[in-house]
Order: sequence, then C-alpha cells, then structure tokens
Amino acid sequence: MLVIVCPHCGPRNSNEFTFLGERSTRPAVAATTPAEWRHYLYFKNNAAGEEDERWFHVSGCRRFLDVERDTLTNEIRSVRDVGEAAR
Amino acid sequence: MSGSRLGVQPGELIDRDRVVRFRWNGAEHHGFAGDTIASALAAGGVEVFSRSFKYRRPRGILTADYHDPNLFVQVGDEPNVRAGHRLLIGGMDVTAQGAWPSLGFDARAANRVVGRFLSPGFYYKTFISPARLRPAYQKILRRFGAGGKIDPTTPPAHAGKRFAHPDVLVAGGGPAGMAAALGASHRGARVMLVEENHHLGGHLLYGGPESEATLAELRALIGADDAIEVLTNAVVTGRYDHNWVGIVVIQGGEEQLVKARAKCLVVAAGKIERPYVFAGNDLPGVMLSSAARRLINLYAVAPGTRAVVATANESGDAALADLERAGVEVAAVADLRKSGSLLVRAKGRGRVAAVELSGGRTIDADLLVTAVGWTTSTSLLNMAGDRPAYDARAARFLPGELPDDVLAAGGVVGDGSIEAIVDHGRVVGFEAGRRALGTRATWQRLTPRAAPAPEVDPEPTVIPRLPAMPHPELFAGPTDGFVDFSEDVKGRDLALAAAEGYDSIELAKRYTTVTMGSIQGKLAGVNAVAVHAAATGATIAATGTTTWRPPYAPITLGALAGVDEDPVRYSPLHDWHMAHGATPIAAGQWIRPDHYGDPAREVRNTRANVGIIDVSPLGKIDLRGRDVPRLLEFVYTNRWDSLAIGGVRYGVMCAEDGVILDDGVTARLEEGRFYMTTTSSGAGRVWNWIDEWLQTAFPTWDVKTTAVTDGYAAMNIAGPRSRELLERVASGVDSSPESFPYMNARIATVAGVAECIVLRIGFTGELSYEVHVPAGYGLHVWEALLAAGSDLGIAPFGLEAQRIMRLEKGHFIVGQDTDGLTKAYTPGLAGLVKIDKPDFSGKPELVWEGEQGAPRRLVAIQPVDGSVVPPEASQIIAGGRTRGRVTSSRMSPTLERSICLAIVDTEHAAAGAELTIRLPDGRDIAATVLEHHAHVDVDGGRVRG
Amino acid sequence: MASYPTRYSALALLRKGATRSDWPRAWRHHDLRSSYDVVIVGGGLHGLATAYYLARNHDITSVAVLEKAYIGGGGSGRNTAIVRSNYLTPEGSAFYDRSVRLYEGLTEDLNFNIMFEQRGHMTLAHSDASLRTMRWRAEVNKLGGIDSEVIDPAGVKELAPAIDVSDRPRYPILGALWHPPGGIVRHDAVVWGYARGADVAGAHIHQVTEVTGIDVADGRVTGVQTSRGAVAAPVVINCTAGWSTLIADMAGVKLPITTRPLQAAVTVPVQPFLVPVIVSGTLHVYVSQTARGELVFGASVDPFSSYSSRGSLGFTEGLAGHVLELMPGISKMRLLRQWAGLCDMTPDFGPIIGPTPVAGFYVDVGWGTYGFKAGPVAGEQVAAMVANGTVPRLIASFGLERFEQGRLTAEKGAAAVGH
Repeated sequence: MLVIVCPHCGPRNSNEFTFLGERSTRPAVAATTPAEWRHYLYFKNNAAGEEDERWFHVSGCRRFLDVERDTLTNEIRSVRDVGEAAR
Repeated sequence: MSGSRLGVQPGELIDRDRVVRFRWNGAEHHGFAGDTIASALAAGGVEVFSRSFKYRRPRGILTADYHDPNLFVQVGDEPNVRAGHRLLIGGMDVTAQGAWPSLGFDARAANRVVGRFLSPGFYYKTFISPARLRPAYQKILRRFGAGGKIDPTTPPAHAGKRFAHPDVLVAGGGPAGMAAALGASHRGARVMLVEENHHLGGHLLYGGPESEATLAELRALIGADDAIEVLTNAVVTGRYDHNWVGIVVIQGGEEQLVKARAKCLVVAAGKIERPYVFAGNDLPGVMLSSAARRLINLYAVAPGTRAVVATANESGDAALADLERAGVEVAAVADLRKSGSLLVRAKGRGRVAAVELSGGRTIDADLLVTAVGWTTSTSLLNMAGDRPAYDARAARFLPGELPDDVLAAGGVVGDGSIEAIVDHGRVVGFEAGRRALGTRATWQRLTPRAAPAPEVDPEPTVIPRLPAMPHPELFAGPTDGFVDFSEDVKGRDLALAAAEGYDSIELAKRYTTVTMGSIQGKLAGVNAVAVHAAATGATIAATGTTTWRPPYAPITLGALAGVDEDPVRYSPLHDWHMAHGATPIAAGQWIRPDHYGDPAREVRNTRANVGIIDVSPLGKIDLRGRDVPRLLEFVYTNRWDSLAIGGVRYGVMCAEDGVILDDGVTARLEEGRFYMTTTSSGAGRVWNWIDEWLQTAFPTWDVKTTAVTDGYAAMNIAGPRSRELLERVASGVDSSPESFPYMNARIATVAGVAECIVLRIGFTGELSYEVHVPAGYGLHVWEALLAAGSDLGIAPFGLEAQRIMRLEKGHFIVGQDTDGLTKAYTPGLAGLVKIDKPDFSGKPELVWEGEQGAPRRLVAIQPVDGSVVPPEASQIIAGGRTRGRVTSSRMSPTLERSICLAIVDTEHAAAGAELTIRLPDGRDIAATVLEHHAHVDVDGGRVRG
Repeated sequence: MASYPTRYSALALLRKGATRSDWPRAWRHHDLRSSYDVVIVGGGLHGLATAYYLARNHDITSVAVLEKAYIGGGGSGRNTAIVRSNYLTPEGSAFYDRSVRLYEGLTEDLNFNIMFEQRGHMTLAHSDASLRTMRWRAEVNKLGGIDSEVIDPAGVKELAPAIDVSDRPRYPILGALWHPPGGIVRHDAVVWGYARGADVAGAHIHQVTEVTGIDVADGRVTGVQTSRGAVAAPVVINCTAGWSTLIADMAGVKLPITTRPLQAAVTVPVQPFLVPVIVSGTLHVYVSQTARGELVFGASVDPFSSYSSRGSLGFTEGLAGHVLELMPGISKMRLLRQWAGLCDMTPDFGPIIGPTPVAGFYVDVGWGTYGFKAGPVAGEQVAAMVANGTVPRLIASFGLERFEQGRLTAEKGAAAVGH
C-alpha cells in the first residue's frame, strides 16, 4: 500500500486510486497511420526506473493525476493534477 | 526422568493458585495459568512433542518459545499451533501432529536404514517409470504430508481489522524496544510497541536481579506513558512499501490484523539463538541455552536431571548458573571458546542418553544445553531492502544500509550491557521520533486546508555505536546433524546438493527445501549458509543469505480476510420484490429479481397487457453544461449535436482500440441538461471514462458530471397498455403518441412525485416507458403504478423475462453478445458509426474496420427444429472447425420456438445461410440466419405505436 | 544425443545409498566461449527448454544459455505450477494441449521426475455470464479433442468437498469447467530436468552471466555483451520475462509489454484435503494443495506496473478473503510465505513468439501469467523456428507483427483470469 500525496486531498493510501498506466500522447486522428495509432495503443516504454504515469483518485476527489514513480523502488517523486500541468 | 516442577522462581510467569486442566493425545494433564502448552507438558514429564517431517524422528523442546520448530501441535480444530508460545486454557484438547504411525512408535530402525536412500531430491530421481504407477506413488507421498488437520466444516473465524497511525512503530519489546518507545515518546511522537511474547521484557524476563530491576523501571515508565500503546502477544508480520506494516494480534486461537502506516519503524527484534549442527542434535533432551533458561525461570520447570552444558557465550554460562541453582546436576561443561574443546555428538535412542565431548569423553546425561551463537533477526530490515552483511568476527549477519524511515536498535545492531542496550534503544527512539514528526509535518503541509505544520528539529541525533562482540564461528561440529529441524535437512544433504550442481544458496534451498518449513528458516538460515559455504569452498559473506519474505510469522487466513466483504447492492424496491415471491439473482454487484415464479407467463402478460420491471441498477449520469453535446459527440460513435430538447438517442461507446465499451440511451431534458444511462455493470467505468476525457483532453469544456445511479429508482412499464397506465398516474405530460413519440423523454409528476424523468424507449420490443423517480419515492411510485394498473392486467416481470423479450426484439447485450475484441461493425452498427465526424474515441480503428469489413458478424438465428434451444456458447461449426458461437438463446414464449443471437464469421452471416450448431451433448442441429436481429416486432410497429 | 552419465532410477538410488557414492553434477560449469551458434538470454524454463530441444530435435549444440543469476530464479521458480490446456480459442487450446502432452511424457523424456500430478483443474462459475464462458471454453476444447466439460454444483462438491456450494447472494457457485488432464508440477524440477538434459546434449549453461548489450550490424544480430565478456552469435533468442523489454531495447526492438508483479503465497502444511486445482476467475484466486500439504495460492497481477518483487499486504488480505469465500472452513490455516514474480503483460494476453525486425534476433516473451504451463511447447517450437528458419503453424498467431496490424489474439475475448 503506497502513500500517494494527492494535491487536493493530501496523503492517501494507494487503494483509493486507479492506475491508468504510462502517459502517452494521442496522435492527431485525421493524419494517423495504423502503425502510429497502434503504438499509441499498445507500445509503452516500460522503463525499469522513472516512469510518467496517470493515476485517478477514484475514491477521493476524482481528479486525474500525473505521477512520477520509480518502478523499481515504487518511490513517488511527484504528483500533480493534470490541469496543473496544462496550466 | 526430566520434567518436574521446581520451587518458586523469582521471575516465574505461572500462577500456582490456578490449576488448568487439559488433554494431550487424549490423556488428562494439568498445568498452571501462565504456562504455555509446552511448559505444562514438560512439567508433566512429556519429552516428545512431535515426529519429524521426513524421517519421523521424535522431537522435543528446542527453543521453548514462539520459534520452536518441534512444538507444532493441533489444538481442537486449529492446526499448527505453537505450543512454546500458546498459553494454556482450561479444557484444551491438544494432540501431536505428524505422529504417523504414532508418537510413541520407535522408528529408529527405519531411520537408520532408509535415511541413506532419502538423499536430497531423491523424489526427482525415482518413480520415473513406469508412468502408469506414478499416481500410486503420488498417493503414498501425500501420506507423508506434514502439519495438522483441517476440518472443512469448521465455522469461519474472522475478526475485524484495525488501522493504526502511529508516528513510530517499534517491533520488539525487549530492553532496546522498550527504551526506543520511551525515547520516541520523549520527542513527542505517538508510539506503538509490539512484542511477540505475552509480556514485555525480552531476555530481561529471565536475566536475574539486575535485569529485573531494569525491567521493572522500563515497565513502569511505559505504563505511565499515554503516548505509548503496547501490543503484546502480537507479531509484526511484514514491512511493505512506504512503511505499511502488518501486525497480527493473537488472542488464544483468534487473530486480528492491525495495519499501520508507521512514519518511522524501529526494528528491535533482537537475536535468535542458533542451534549447532552435530550428530544427535535433534534428540529430545538437546536444547538451546535460552530454552533451558526459559523453562527454569519463566515456568519453573527443570529441563532435565543430569546435564551437559556446551557453551561459547554468556548465555550458556547463565544457563549453567540457572541449572545449578535449580538443582539440576551438571555432569560436564564444555567451554567451546577454548581451543580443542569440542561437542562431538549426542547419543541415545529416542532421547539423549549420553554426550560425547573432545577426546572421546562420553558423559551420561539426559539434558544437553548448547550455546553456540546468535542469528540477528533481520527479516523486517530485509523486507525494507536491506541486505545484511556477514561479520566473521561476531559470527553473525548484521544490518547494512537502511532507508530513512527504518531504524534498528539493540541486539539487531550489536551487543552490550543492559545499560548500553537501553541507551542505544533510547537514542534510536529519540531520532525515530524526530524523523516521524518530520514526516507528519510534511504530510500536513501537503494537505490543503490542514492546520499549519509545526516546526521540526532539523538536527539528527547521533546514534551511538553498539559494536557486535567477538564470538567464535560455531555452525557445524565434527559430526553431521540436522540443519533444518522442520524439513529434516542435514548438513550432508546440503553438501550433496552442492556437489550435484545446486551450488548457489538459492538453488540449494529449493533442492533440499532447507529453510522452507513452518518457522521460515529462523533457526536454520545461517547454519544452512555456513554449511553450504563450506561445501562450495566459498565464504559465508560471499554466499550471502536467502531472501526473507513476509510474513515474518504465519498468520491465519481468517485474520487476513477480516470481515471485509465485497459490496452487494440492492434496489430501493428489493424488499418489495422479496415479499412478492421474487427469486433473486446476482447480476454483478446487484441482487435483482430473476422472476416471480414463471418468466414465460411474465413475457406473455407483458406482450398482451402491461408489465413492470425494476431497472434501478441501470447506470445513470447527470450531465450539465454548455458543452455536453460536444462531449457526447466525442464519446459516442454517432451524432449528438442535433438532439432536440426532449429527444432521446441510443449510442455506443468505443474505447480507443475501437472495441465496444458500453451502450445506452441519453436524453436531452433541457438546453444544458442531459441524462445518460449506461449498462448496470458499466456505470462506474463510463463515468470515469467521461471524466478522464474531460479532465485530460478537454479541460476548458463546460460539462459537469454527476453519477446518480443510486439517486433514482427506475422502473419500466412495457406492453400495449402501458400508455393507458402512464396517463392514469402522470401529470404535466401529454402521453399521446403525437406529443410523446418513441425515443423521447419528458419531466413529469408521477403519482404525485415531481421531477420524475420519463423516457419512452423500448428494450423489450413493446410500447414502454421508463420512469426514473427520486430513490426515496421509488416504492411509492412502484406501488401506485401497480394499483393504477390492476384492472389493466399489470404484473411485475423479472430479469429473465426482460432477457427473453430483448432477445425476441434482437437487442444485443454488451459483454454477452459482444466480447473484448468486438468493434462497432460486428453487431451491425454501421449506421451508428459516423466517420465523417472529425474525431471521436476509437475513430481510426473504426475507419479501418469499416474499410476492411468486420471479420465476424452478430446475427439472429433460429434452429430449424424450434423445440431445441441450443445452450449459450454452443459452437457453430463447419468442416470440423468453429465458425462462431451462440451468444444468446431462449425459448420464445411469443413465437413458441427457440431463438438465438450468434456471432459468426462474416462468410456465414448472410441472411438465409444454413448453419450447423454443435450442442454440448455432441448432437448437431441445423439453424438459419435471419435477415434482421429482431425475431418479434421486426418492423418496429409495437415500440413506435 | 549423448546419454546421462548416471541415469536416475529407484535402483540407482539404492545403489548410491548402499555404496554411499555421490551423484554426478546435473549440469557443469564451462568457460564462456567467444562464439556460439545460438545465444539464449534467460536461464529459465523457456530458455533451457529451447536449448534442450535445439540439441535433441535439431542437433544444434553450440548453444549458450546466459542467466544473470541462477537457473530458474525468475518466473520459472515463482509461479504456482499449474498446467492445463482448456483455453478459449482453438489456437490457444491447441498450443497448450501440445504442452500438456509434452508434460505428460517429460518425466521419462528427461529422466527426471517432475512430479506432474494430473489431479484435474476446476474453474468455478459464480454467474450466468461466467457459466456461459465456461461452456464456451468447454465447447471449443471438445472440438479440439481436449477433455473439458461443464459440471454442476453437486459435481463440484463431489470432486472438492471443502468447497462451499451453498446458496449465497454474492458469489454463488453455479457450476464449473472441469478439465481432468490439468494439474500441478514441481516447477523447479522442470527447470532442473531441462538444464540437465541440455547440459548432457552439449549446451553451455552460464549462470551469473548478465547480458549487458546486444550487438546489431546492418539490421542483423551479431552477438551479445555480457558481464563476462563479448560473445559472437548469429542467433540471439530473448527468453526472459519481466525484463524482456529491457533486453529487446538493447537490440532496438520495441515490445508491447508492461511489467507487472504477480503475487503468490503458500500456507503452513496440513493433512491432504483438496485434490483438484481450484480456480475462480471472478474472485481472482487459484488454489491447489501440494503433496507436502501446503496450499498454494495465486491471484491476478498487481494493480500497477512495477519491477519490484517485494509483495504487498493487500494481496494477502484480498487473497484470504476470496479463498474463504470458497472454503470458509479453512480460516485457521496460516499463510506461511508470500512472494512475487514479474510478468510480461501484453495487450491481448497472448505471448509474443517469433522473429523481430532485427534478423537473427528472436523473442519468446510476453507470457503474462501463462509462461510456466507453456514452457515445453514454447521451447520445442522456438527450437524448430530457429532450426528451420520458418515459423511453425502452432505459434503462427503469436507474432510480434500482429499488434501493428491490429490482429490481436482472441484470448482477450473473454479475459477472465484463469490459471
């Protein structure tokens, strides 16, 4: 059970959150090719170390969060609201 | 005979005024309150407590505490109870485990002869052929199964769990742990102190007058400190990521799990005394110095009558003093610190009778006490990522690097006087408190709207060194004996394994099963490493330890499970259904009425008159804002920007891979107010899906989503007379077909309840209205509809009748008639996929599927013989291969014939195609593909009427 | 093919016991050569089986198996050792059926008792929907000649009396898929048996030899860099799990894999009371009792990706709750040890076997939670692929190219957990 410090709710147990996987960039739909689109769907970095992820505080504020986590140690480096990154 | 109760001992834990009676293997025994099962039996002269796993050797007391591998017993219906730890309770029914053929049977002949052939991994080398006899061999092997008995009819024992939020959690209530708790509390931290024994104190409990004084003082301070919570008879079972700590609290046969988020963990687990490997080391009467000291001092039991003491340290010396004080004759002392002084072997049949020391000197004795060294209890540190390093000078592994939120105190780190240990614990606790308060303050700062965090001292306290004292490296003696008592693994077994190629410690562990038994290698671990190292020629340091895995001590499934239950959901009408003869069925989390006696009659009544079904589990999402149409355009495959107020549209959602995610109808109730319905099981998923797009891709859109599944009760009235019924109960709405046509929605007052949402939709293929009412009024409206429709022939129908009718109408169910690869074209939704929209979820995949054509199609089929209902999942075959399957099938009460939906390869999907269905019983039947999905109301006249 | 210096048998055991002589090494140490015909990365079941079949079926013996730690230390030694073939798709069930048949003959084939106990494999259905999926699997299996049928709750009770089939609201037992050939194996024995077989046939097993780089020139693999030096090889096969994307990255090949821990646990032993393997996909749990009397439990993969095999408390809590849902009478059994292995999760839960865009660089990865039961057949087919230069029919639908082409395997169709 990890501690995830939600920017809205404070430190919470990780079972309040849903892991949505590595963040990826959606290709422009109008111009995409099958190869490009399926890389977006299926191919991740799967790094052993620092990973940029998306989590969802489903049993909390229901905000989607950008999380930097080390996949070897499960250490969490940062948690930000997706809106905060965009701002 | 050994085993008699001594006179009163200064530190004894027993209450001689309270006699406790119990049974051991059917015979009456007694002990005192405060006795463990083992101490009471030992006081009563019992020497053999179990028989060993592989060779069935008799085994007696070795450590006399929680970690004794020889003291696993059955207590009533509870297997594998630790008799060295479990306190005696009146009426206990205790029996020996692994006692095949019987505890008293002397299997020494078998031991001597067979043992040589039961080399490590012998089972890999035999029973190879003939193959047909292998099952018989396997049955025989299973008779050697270890452990107690389970009666599967035992009533479940579950205790509720507890969460704890200590600043500092101290594992181990010996002198260092007690001092650490006080140190942390002194810094202002809230502390939880966990001790596996029934009393705080650790080895101070049997350490003589100086220990007693220190213990009394520490106990008094802890007892007076409100910031320290003490859990005795409790074991820290594991340290997990981010200092999530599991603790099991044992109360008799019941266990409770405590889960703690420790801001700082102090491991003060001390040292475990290590057995010595030599011939006869497992004979009853051979025990560790700490065992002898526990028996004498805590339970006033004489461990024998004539002893040999083999000592290499102060614990052995103290045991010697205890024995002498207790009046046990000490026949010889072997001081293993002196060069040339050896413990060669223990001799005896079924128990120790003599001990051979250096130079062939053999001494008759019924007790052999060994004190050859310690194993650091590092497993919690190991779980925190530490790799302990071997210190040859101290002859034990010591902790290495620890994370900031874990500290070690006392005997885990080094040795010293009681005063030095207490001082070390106190300072470690003080520093742990500082770190924990720092974390607390950090978390407080990171919590919006929390009170301002207090200042925390930034200066770490320097923790004094606690050096480990030199100790001779004593692991295996000049003769061979058992390394692992639980698994019956000898030193020679490890040597043979290494010679055969199992020459890393992990391979040796797996091949010989050394350390894999019930006490998890706590006694055997380091000896196994030492013996393996000697066999491979490597050093102990290079060989390293195996990985310690949680739990630190076994924990019952009942404690782990607790009373947590997966949620079950009920409609607000559930009690009504049950009172009216409904048969319930689990549909995902929901418990729903399957039928009220006869689903076919429910169908016929609905088609002829009017039926009513509770559809409250439908997912419902309230959508508000200017940009809702844009959202719907994106998440559904079809068009939404043209939906008028009062309009309802059906839509399908696809994931980005084009696979159907969910379906449902959405109504536009007002300009900026929409009401979305989803499948019952998809409600949460769809809500999350929509919010994800809104937050991550379209943060500027004006859309607010609210899940209102539980806020509304929903009921569907269906059948030719449903309009008449609606007219009787609804006000504020014109129900005529012209002003309230199919696929429209209105806000109305129903049975006096304002703000109900009425949707005219037709899942059943009938004229029907779905009435969504605020949940608290659900029962009122339901009963009002039934009352108002009594002369119209209204009757409730359940899930089964609805499934039949939707199948008659040819509506597919996501997840039943589609699967994890079904894209929108397969169920024939081409008309609903608007690839001229600039973008929507899954669009590229749907564009490509549209171009290539779906490989499979969903079709309606009818068996030629209408009396046969092919079970769902029956395969459609051609040329001996599967070409599809029946996804839904029922006997249609309306058509009085069987009807199906099926997914088939596109080449078999043309209207009129003849198919062969292979029934589960092996018969083949013929079926025909229909032109449309609908079997009933093909032209839509009923739903649109 | 060379023969074993000492064959294992009951007689040999007696002879060794009587003469107190030692057994020869099951596999030997070798110097690392500067070149091999085939380099296999990963000394687990898949890598060792591949080496064995390269030698036995194709006379390719210049083979190095490179293992960064000790053989069988990854997924091969961390799984719950269940073997079955009742998969959902015709391709899947045909493939695993071949594996079951290889397992059935493996003890004699390898002259190493792998203790395959075909106790039967039972997948419980708690809902109409799962009963439908069970029937789907049974019907597909029957068409493929695999022994698989749907049984009712009374049948469940008869085969496994400890299971509670009484009526209850949330997880009633409505029936089960019953697969008599399924069972459990001693997983380490399979690894050691293949290692011994590969060794005697001439393959070199190099433990504590970590691959640190893969050499590629002009789109073709030329060898590997290791912690013990460089090795030239025209063929390199990635037979790793958990770390497979990191190895493939060294050759510049991207794989659609994410690494997830899969946890398992074992109890303190009790006397035998459970014969078949019990699985509940809905409750995400599978249970079997070993010959030693321990219950072995597994569940679904962890809720987030990780390369950590430390395990979690939440796993054991959920596991215990679900096990007791099925067998409420065993609440006093104690969990002894938990562990985790790393699984390669692919988007369609199917493996990735075949050539890659780098010539000579093959993959046998992406096994998710199914790798152990596939070990023998994967080794046999990969060996055939490398030896013949063509992809055998049995693994044709498992190629890497299917992801870019959007042709996912249909096992995803009903992705219930089922081990």
